[in-house]
This record gives sequence, C-alpha cells and structure tokens, in this order.
Amino acid sequence: MDTILIRFERVSKDYLADGEPVHALRELSLDVAPGQFVALMGRSGCGKSTLLNMAGAMDLPSSGRVLLDGQDTLHLDDAGLTKLRREKVGFVFQSFQLLANLTVAENVELPLLLAGGASARERAREALGWVELDGYEARLPHQLSGGQMQRVAIARAVVHAPKLLLADEPIGNLDTATGDLILKLLRRIVTERGTTILMATHSPESVVVCDQIVRLRDGRIEAVETRDAR
Amino acid sequence: MIERIPSRLSRRQLLAMLPMAAAGAEAKPPAWRKALPGYRYQFPRDHFSHPEFQTEWWYYTGNVSTPEGRPFGFELTFFRQGIDPVRSENVWAVDQVYLAHLALSDIQGQRFHHYERLNRSGPGLAGIDPERQRIWNGNWQMEWRNGDQHLTAIAPEFNLRMALHSGKPPVIHGRDGISQKSPGEGRASHYISFTRLLAQGELELAGQTLKLAGTAWMDHEIFTNHLGDQLSGWDWLSLQLANGTELMVYRLRRKDGSIEPLSHGTFVDAAGRARGLTLDEFSFMPSGRTWNRYPLEWRVKVPSLGIDLEVSTPMENQQLVSTNRFSPSYWEGAVRVKGQPGPGVGYLEMTGYDRALTI
Amino acid sequence: MLRLFARLILRPLKSEPARALLTAFAVALGVAVVLAIDLAGEAAAGSFRSSVETLTGDADLEITAVGGIPEAVYGQLATLPVALRLKVRLEDYATLSGGGPDKGAVVPLIGIDVVADALELGITSEAGPVPDKDSVWVSEGLGLKAGDSIALQIQDQPGTYRVGGVFKQKGKIIVADIGLAQRLVRRPGRLDRILVWVPPARTVDEWQQQLQQQMPAGVTVALQGARTQENRRMLEAFRWNLRVLSYIALVVGAFLIYNTISVSVVRRRSEIGILRALGATRGAILAAFLGEAAVFGVVGGAVGLLLGRVMAEGAVQLLGATVESLYVSSRPAAIEINAVSALLAFTIGISISVLSAWSPAREAAGVPPTEAMARGRSDYLARVHQRRDLLLAVVLAVLAFVASQQPPVAGKPFGGYAAALLLIGAGAMAIPAMVDGINRLSSRLLLRLGGVEAMLASRSLSASLRRTSVLVGALATAIAMMVSVGIMVGSFRQTVLIWMDNQLKADIYLRPAGTASADRFPTFDAALPDRIAALPEVRAVDRFRAYPISYNGLPATLAGGETQVVELGGGAQFMSGDRASIMRRLPTCRCVIISEPFANKHHLTTGDSVTLPFGRFEIIGVYYDYANERGYIIMDRRTLLKYLPDPAPSNLAVWVKPGVDLDQAKLAVERAAQGSNVAVFANRSLRVEAIKIFDRTFAITYALEAVAIIVAVMGIAGALLALVIDRKRELGLLRFLGATTGQVRKLILCEAGLLGLLANVAGFLLGLALSLILVFVINKQSFGWTIQFHWPVAVLTGALSLVYVATLLAGLYPAHIATRLNPIEVVHEE
Repeated sequence: MDTILIRFERVSKDYLADGEPVHALRELSLDVAPGQFVALMGRSGCGKSTLLNMAGAMDLPSSGRVLLDGQDTLHLDDAGLTKLRREKVGFVFQSFQLLANLTVAENVELPLLLAGGASARERAREALGWVELDGYEARLPHQLSGGQMQRVAIARAVVHAPKLLLADEPIGNLDTATGDLILKLLRRIVTERGTTILMATHSPESVVVCDQIVRLRDGRIEAVETRDAR
Repeated sequence: MIERIPSRLSRRQLLAMLPMAAAGAEAKPPAWRKALPGYRYQFPRDHFSHPEFQTEWWYYTGNVSTPEGRPFGFELTFFRQGIDPVRSENVWAVDQVYLAHLALSDIQGQRFHHYERLNRSGPGLAGIDPERQRIWNGNWQMEWRNGDQHLTAIAPEFNLRMALHSGKPPVIHGRDGISQKSPGEGRASHYISFTRLLAQGELELAGQTLKLAGTAWMDHEIFTNHLGDQLSGWDWLSLQLANGTELMVYRLRRKDGSIEPLSHGTFVDAAGRARGLTLDEFSFMPSGRTWNRYPLEWRVKVPSLGIDLEVSTPMENQQLVSTNRFSPSYWEGAVRVKGQPGPGVGYLEMTGYDRALTI
Repeated sequence: MLRLFARLILRPLKSEPARALLTAFAVALGVAVVLAIDLAGEAAAGSFRSSVETLTGDADLEITAVGGIPEAVYGQLATLPVALRLKVRLEDYATLSGGGPDKGAVVPLIGIDVVADALELGITSEAGPVPDKDSVWVSEGLGLKAGDSIALQIQDQPGTYRVGGVFKQKGKIIVADIGLAQRLVRRPGRLDRILVWVPPARTVDEWQQQLQQQMPAGVTVALQGARTQENRRMLEAFRWNLRVLSYIALVVGAFLIYNTISVSVVRRRSEIGILRALGATRGAILAAFLGEAAVFGVVGGAVGLLLGRVMAEGAVQLLGATVESLYVSSRPAAIEINAVSALLAFTIGISISVLSAWSPAREAAGVPPTEAMARGRSDYLARVHQRRDLLLAVVLAVLAFVASQQPPVAGKPFGGYAAALLLIGAGAMAIPAMVDGINRLSSRLLLRLGGVEAMLASRSLSASLRRTSVLVGALATAIAMMVSVGIMVGSFRQTVLIWMDNQLKADIYLRPAGTASADRFPTFDAALPDRIAALPEVRAVDRFRAYPISYNGLPATLAGGETQVVELGGGAQFMSGDRASIMRRLPTCRCVIISEPFANKHHLTTGDSVTLPFGRFEIIGVYYDYANERGYIIMDRRTLLKYLPDPAPSNLAVWVKPGVDLDQAKLAVERAAQGSNVAVFANRSLRVEAIKIFDRTFAITYALEAVAIIVAVMGIAGALLALVIDRKRELGLLRFLGATTGQVRKLILCEAGLLGLLANVAGFLLGLALSLILVFVINKQSFGWTIQFHWPVAVLTGALSLVYVATLLAGLYPAHIATRLNPIEVVHEE
C-alpha cells in the first residue's frame, strides 16, 4: 500500500473563460496520505473546486500530473477515468445533487448500478444505515430536510466504498447545527472506514474535524497546517 | 395564283388560297368542267349548283330604305368552291367548301357591319339543295318560294329577312352563253344575273324592327379557273337607273396598269332585253376622291346609249376588312349615280387596292 | 412590452436555435401538407376541360349525350335562325407510341371542325385551313413541326399521322378534323360535345331551356361548367377525406407547439415570477408566450407556404393517379399559389400555434409574482389530474361512439370526422395516465432488461410527465393515423382481392392498350370479338361496353355486358336477392343492376328504378363493386344496343374451352388481335394489374402518413433536446457518479426508445379504434363501399418497427449533445 493516495505534481490548470485566460492552479504540488481528512480553504476562485475535480479525475491538468492511487490521470482515457472514479472516488456537493425522480435508496445505489453492480439494493441499505437514515429508502428527495438530503448524498458517495471522498462545501447550504452533524459524520467516515476526504470549505469552524488544512490563494498553496483532529 | 381569277376576285381569294383548290385545279385539271360556248341554260336548274365546275357563287346586293327613307345597303353572298372533283360519301369530307359573306351598310348611322363564314357541307351545315330550292350556309340562306327569292341572314348585330321579286327575266352575260375573261378556251364563266329585284323585308337592328323596301341585284357565276397571270385587281359596278334600265360594267386591271381588253359590260333595257358592251363601247374610270386608296368617285360613259353618269358613295367605309390571314380586304358598297339618263342606285366593288396581291 | 417579449421569449429562442428551428419546421410541415393537399386537390379537380377550350374561351352552354350526340344536331343548330356560336368537339385520348421522351404519354386528342374553326383558332396548316387527309395538328408542347410524322395509338389502333401544322399551346395536345377524329376514335356520326355561345337577348338559362326543347331525346343541354361541377362534386368526398387526413399532420404539429411553449413556461417560471414582481401584468405575460407561438406560426406559415408549393407538385402527381383510376380523366391544371393560399398558410400556421399555446401561456400568466419554485410542480399537477383526465377520456370516447353513429351530412361523413377527432382527444387525455402507469409498473423490469440507463430514462420521462405525455400524444396520433389508414387500406385491399376472386372468372381479358382511366372507354374494332369467338380454343366471349354518363348531377358509368356469357363463371356478388334469378331476368327485362357505390350515392335499392335519357329501368339487384367510385348501371348488352347501337366493345372477357392450355389460348387471342393495339391479360396478370392500380391509388395517403410521422419524430428530437438541456446538471452529475459517456448516450436513447414504445402502444390502440371509424363510417359514407375488416399484420409490423427505429434515430442527436456536456460546468455551483 502506498503512503500517498493522491499526489499533485507541479499541477497547473489554465482555461479560457469568456475569452480571458484563467490560471486556476499554478504549479501546485500536494501529497495526501490515505486516511487523511484534508480541508481546502481559500476564497472563491482560489482553485479549490478545480483541485477537487482533478482529484476526482473529472478534470485533467494543463501541465504537471495528478496521481490517484498511483495512477496518472493523464494516461487514462475516458473509460479509464470513469473506472477510476467508480472504484475510488465519491463526491459530495454543496447542494446535495440528488436526483429528484429517484427514491432515496435509488439515489444511493446509483453509483453501483452505473458501475454495473448487482447487489446494489442491499449495499444501499447498509450505506443508509451508516448515515442513520434507515427506513427512508422509499422517500423522494423533496420529502427530506436539507441535512437528510446531504446524508443521503454522503451515503451515495460512500456506497461503493471509495478510497477518496471529495466534498465541495458540503455544509454550505445547511444551518450550523446540521452542518456540525454532517462534519461529524464525515469525520466518522475517515476514522471508521479509513476513507480519505478532501473537503473544500470556507467556514473556519469546519476545520476542527480535519487533519490537515491546505490554504490556497490564486491557484497556489499558501500554507499547510496539520493538526490532530482525533 | 390570284391573277388567274376572272372577276369578283376578292371574295374568292380565300378560296383560291385553299391548298386543295390549287391542287385540285392543277393536279386534276381535266376533272373540272370548263365554261365553254354553246352552254344551254335551263331554269330553274341553272339557279342551283353545278358541282362539275370548280367555282360558283350567288351574289345578292341591294339598296333599300325604310318607309321614312332611312337608307341601307346589303350584301349576301354564297360561294361554293370545289376542292376535289371526286365526291365523297363521308359527311365530313371536304370535297367542297362553302364560304359566305354578309354585310350591312347603315348609311344614316355610317356603320358598316360585315361577317364571313366558312363551312363544309357536313351534317347540313351548308349547301345547295335543288329539291328544296335552297342555298344556305349555316343560318344564312336563300330560298325560292313561289318564284321569289327569300333571303335570311342572322348575325350577332342584326337579322335581315328579304323577299326578292324579279321584275325581269334572268340575263345571261357575254356571248354564246359565256362571259370570256381572258383569251383562251375555258377562260370564261357562265354568268347569270337578276338585274332588277324588287326587295321587301325586315331588318332587326339594335332592338328595332325596320321595314325595308328597294331594289336588289343577283349575280350567279359558274366557272373553273383558267385565266392569265397579269391581273392586279378589278372594279365592278352594277347600276339600277330610275328609268327602269340597268347597267353592269367591270374592268380587269393588269399589273402593267393597263386594262384587260376583254373587260365588258351589259345593258338591260326597261323591257328586260340585254345588250353586251365591249370595252371599246364604254368607259369606266375613277374621277376624284379616294379613301384608303379606293377611288370613291367614278365616271361611266356609254356614248352609244347616251349614258354619262357620275358615281359616288354615300358612305366611305364599306370595306370588308379581313379578320384572318387567308383573305384580303376589299371594298364593296352601295353607290348613287346622277347624270344621263337620270339618277339611280347601284353597288360598286373594288379589289386589289389594299395591298399587293401576292402569295 | 417589446423588451419583455425580447427578454422572455426571443433571447431564449436564440440560445437554442436547433430546437426553435425544429418546432418551426414541424409547424411548417403541417402547414405545408394542408396547403399542398389543398392546392393539389384544386389542381387535380380543376381541369376537366381540354386545353383547346382555353383558346376559344368559355362557352355558355354545353350539349352532350350518352353515347355521343348525333352529328345532325350540329347541322340543326347551325341553321337555327339564332345567332349562336357553335364549336363541336370529339374528345378522346391518344397514346404517343413513337420514340422519344414522351413515349407512352397519353395526350388529349380533340376533334374539331377545322374548316369552321381553323381561322379563329389559328390552327392552320402551312398551306391553308382545309384539312389534309390523315393530317393532325399538334400543340407546340409536342415539339414537332409541320410535315413531321407522329406515331399514335388511338383506341386499339396504332398508326402514323402527318403533322399538318402546329398551333400555339403549351401543353401536349393533338387536334384532328372532326371527320378524321370520328374515324380514329370509332364514333362515326357522333359528336361528344357542342359548345354554344348564346346572344345576350335572353338569359343563358332561358336559352338552355329553349335549346333543350329542340334537342332529340337523350341529348342534354347544360350550362357550361356543369360537367366540371359534376366532377368536382364527385371528387368532393375524396378531397374532403384527404383534407381531413392532412389535418392530422397539423394536429401533430399542434401537440409540438404545445410542448414547446410548455417547456418555455416551465423553464422560465422563476423568470416569470421575477418579471411579475417587477410589474409585468398577467396580460403581458400571456401575450408574450402567445407571441412566441405566433413567431413559430409566422415562420412555420412562411416556410410552409414555400414547402407546400413544392409538395403540391408531388401531391398532384399522386392525386392525379388516384383521380384517374377512381374517377375521371384529368389533366392537372397548373398549381396556382396566390394571396388566398398565402393567407391560408399564415392563418393555419398562426392559429394552430396560438391555439396550442393558449393553455401553457395561461399557465404562465398565472404564475404568482412570488414564484421561484423549482420545476416539478406542474408535473406534479399533471399527475394529480390524471383521474379527472381519464374520466374525460371516457366521456370523449363515448361521444366519439355517438358521433360515429350519425348519418352523413350532404354526402360527407362529418359524424365520422368528429368521432375521429374526439377519439384523438380521448387518446390525448388518457395518455398521461397510461405513461405514468406503464412507467411505474415497468421501472424495476426496465432496470433488469435495459440496465440502470433504462430505469433512469423511465423515471425521467415519468418525472416530466406532462411533457412526455404530449410527445407521446403527438407521435401516437401520427402512428394512430398510420395504423388506422393501414388497417383500412389493408382491409380494402383484402376485400378487393376476394371480390376479384368472385368477379374475375374469365380466363383472358382484353382492352385497348394504353393507360386506364375510370371514365375513358376506348373501344375495339367490332369485328375483333367475332374473330376471337371463332377461335377453336375459345368457349365464349363477353363483349362489355361502357359509356360515361351523368346521373342526377353526378358522373356515372352505363354499361352493357353479355349476361349469359358472364353466367358461365359466377361473377357479381349481390348485396341482396338471388343472383341466379337476377341474372336470369336481366337479359329479357327492361331492367338494370347497379353497383353498391352507385346505390349509395343515389339512395337507390332493388325495386327502385333509374331514369336514363332513353327511359326508365327497374333495378333488380345491387352488386358489390370496387372497380371505381363513379358507380355502374349495368344492363344486358342486347338492351343497351337497342338504345345505343354502337357494337364496338370496350372490354372483352374470354372463356377458354376446358382442357385448352391457357398460354396457348392467350397466344391464339393475341394472334387474332393482330393489327389492333390491345392489352391482353391472363386472369392472373389482370389481378396483378388491378392491385397495382389499387396500390397506386393510396400512394397519397402513404405520403401524408409519412409527413405526419416525420413531424412527430422531429418533435421527439426537439423535445429530447429540450430534455437534455433541462437536465444537463443531472446528466453531468451522473458522470461524477461514475457514468461513462456511453451510459449517458444510452440513457437518452432509452428515453427515445421508451417514448417510441409508449407512442407505438398508444398509437396502435388509438389507430385500431380509428380504423373502425374509417372502415365502417367514413369510408362507407364517403364512397359507399362495404369493406371487410382485415389485419394487415405484415404492413403494420413493418410500419410500427420503422417508426420505432425513427424515434430511436431521433434520439441520436440529443444523445450526442448529452455526451458533449462538460460535467464540471453543468454541475458547477455558485
């Protein structure tokens, strides 16, 4: 087992937005070890989301490379990237991103089904149990509270037991109390399942659950703080 | 082609241009009978058709007026032209064609109405029927009834019905039964006229029915075309004088401007006796005004008969304008005369003035 | 207001040009079809007059007679002391039998009195107005010059004729002198028409009455155009049905407009809310969305006008073929597009668009200013209303049944049309429930069968139920039309096949060669049947002669056959009465049998009588007939000859002696017919030809169906595109959740496939119901044919599969767009 789950090597990301070049990441290097809960902090547009997308093999660097569990994402085709994602990555979003037409259980089992899995329903139920939403399987998303929706989203993100969970402002749409619950849940995932979490956030209070805080500014790492969150 | 036609050329120019007329005349010349001296006339047979001759017409003109004195001239002409001397049984065969002209000169209104029609005999469309003593083309017809000739002509603008009673026996023009038109055997016609027909009838015009009375003239000519090729046109005149006599003269104009020496005339005295006139016995010359190149004033002199007449027309436009490219236009209309031996009325025909007569 | 319109409507339209264009084009196609059918119908029905008539102008009166006018009538009229203008006509057709591009073309052959008319018509030979023997005059359109020769087949006789002259006329037409024409078309002593111009002294009606009194029995004086009017009347039902069929494409277009505007409204709900909050009135919102529909209407109308003009050209060909084989020889007039057609196109386009947009636009106007609610509410409402809609569907279906039981109005099956429309409405109402129900029931099954993509597709369709229902409704309507017409035509075809089995009992059939038409009866040399009858191989010959007639203001066919010969094989099937006794009576009584369409058209039945120009005849039987729609009055040949003594037959049926080889007999018949140009058919090949004509007849309906399907499929493509755009976030999310681009593509194709499937099911059921109306109500009332119901299984399976494949294909482009979405962008949260 490698000691590095995800490695950014001098990663730059440039793209055009409305004809203007944007340098989202500038020669950024970062290693994340397995089982770490890493918070990415910084202002809007500092490159947090780009970094997350690259970690999740949704995006590729303009230069440098990203190694996810030892695999260089630049060397993989679309199918390879998808496979990598299916096996190793889960996503959690600020606005939950549940499919409104699907029940809670169907939402959760979706990654398994998309990956061609068979015993999806049972594992979905397990995952829901893990986020303490037993009995909510048949509900539709609009029948849930925000916190419940985010828990469903987290269940969906971990149902296929990924090594890496990427969370983009997971408590941004929630009140403080609910947000705390979600943060605790995420911490539990790191602690109990050994999952690595990369979480973009700009709320200072959320860092209490993290092992490492990476501060970004203008596409560069400004500072890395390590703390003991256990 | 035109030059071979003896007289009254204009109305027959149409016929002459028919391809079969030419073909018939040239390809089968012996098949048509020629007008030769010694023809024995027999009436009423000779008032009707002679299909063994190629061309034949019945030609009615008249000066009439209403009881109030409103004057009219009329012309109704039936032509028969042989196309093929071999008769066919088929109803629609075109072995003969029938042409007819109708004209009315409304002298007071100065309006000239004229129509023409062409038919084959078809299923009773046109023909000559000696049994029923009838000559017709569509609803234009002449019928003998009780010795009188009854004319009916239906046209879009007028209907004309006339009963014609002859005060004199028919006149046979020329010598020995033929009217020679140019030198050579057969270049002649059998030419019969009623020179004084007392006309009475009705005219329906513009919603009115007008009673008409006056005098009319009838020419019946029978021949097969054989003439020289020097003609450019002709002038023909018939006169009915107040003293009970009639005069007919014509002159054939040649291309070189001279007059065919065989041009002739006929004088009919009050008793109905006819006398032929050769060109050296009369003169017939334009004497003044013209209209569209037609001389409208003429001078006729027959010194031996003491005749010296000035001819003029009460209406300039009596030109039958052709509506198709086959027949030329010509002038044919009512005229008045004065001079010696007194006044009279008549009909004048002038052809070959409107355009060059070439094909 | 304009700014509101620009912001709310135009800008969104511009941002999705493909979808906007698809919608406009769907409207355009609908408009085009309606317009094309209208224009083509007018052109096909408009020209029963020969083009020689355009040279002479319109006459006041027309004189005609069954079997032709005795030519003496012409002489009689010509000598009447009335200033009539007369033109005689013999009208027939010649087949160009020489080489060249026109070979085989059938052109009018007009006999005229060349001597009397030539000067006026300008029909002159080089030399003069007198016809040469065997010379014909040709129109400029034939590209010949005087002195050329032209090979023609006239009736059954081939021949070569000299071109005597050329006359100014664009089309292809041949003129012969009446005498030659009579000989060529074998109508000695007869004229087909006399055109009469009357003087203004009296009214045309008075002249008509006066002249009629002077005509011999059987000769009819009618107002000019009466024949055209009759033909138009006869074609009316046919044109009505086509027209109604063409409206289906429009209904499909209406569904799509409804869908497009609904999508606009749903998408811009929050925007509408904001605008309302900013002070936009309800009326302004309503007007803005109706304005959007009107934009589609105007664009669709404009494009539809041009497209319709183009389609009309094609439609005229198809229509012409149908009219020829079912009704009357017609030479399509030029298609004329004028202000009226333009107005029609725009009126149809705009009104159908605005009407279909009314309900969604009202919904938009009803959005409260506070509204910023997410998508889904209206779909939720749609689900709530299902029960009510289902009930409405039942009510509409019942009304449809009631309407279908109504008798025709003025010969037109309006009850049937109403029933069809009501049924479509019932279908539209029932479809949401059906879609929802099927989706719910099949979700897990789909997961197992089609994988997660199918399940997602089904959920997505179900979620946007309203939209989905409309799409399914549109496609289902088109499919229903296809299915119903398919069943109707299939049933008809089968019925005709069975009828032919009964009717065509002879071994060999003959008719003069050339294109067949329902009102053209070229004849044989009268000696030919005798030659054939004398052949040692031949047992009997039936000499059949038909005449086109006018009966009570409608065209019909009067014919005579040899009853005793026909009895050899069986023959006609009667609707009532004993055929043996009917056939026994027919040769001797003063009576006739009539065909079913004739009976229906004139409300006649056994025991009534028909009044022909030469007398009254008792109807002793009504027989099934599918040969053409004009309808037949049939008498025994001997009876017919008594009144119309022309012995030339127009068709021959030959029975071969038992034991004689059929091919050998056919050869013998062909040898006997040498010198005539005759089409000789063995029984079998005649049936093949008959079915070919039958199929040709329905070409136009296939074309209409195709257009409706195309409109619907285009709608599917457009709507899927909209679905993709509306759900791009969801589609992007799936990529985050581990979906490959292939899975995304499959998802969209599954949606297309599901839509197709649902539409096929709904369309098939609806089509089945409609087919019953078509077969038993509309067809029966319009045309008077009894059709047995049959399933054209192969055709239906093929057609439905084709439509299904087409819907799948319609999903390809939206699927492609879906795979091109950048998931990061579409899921991006701000």
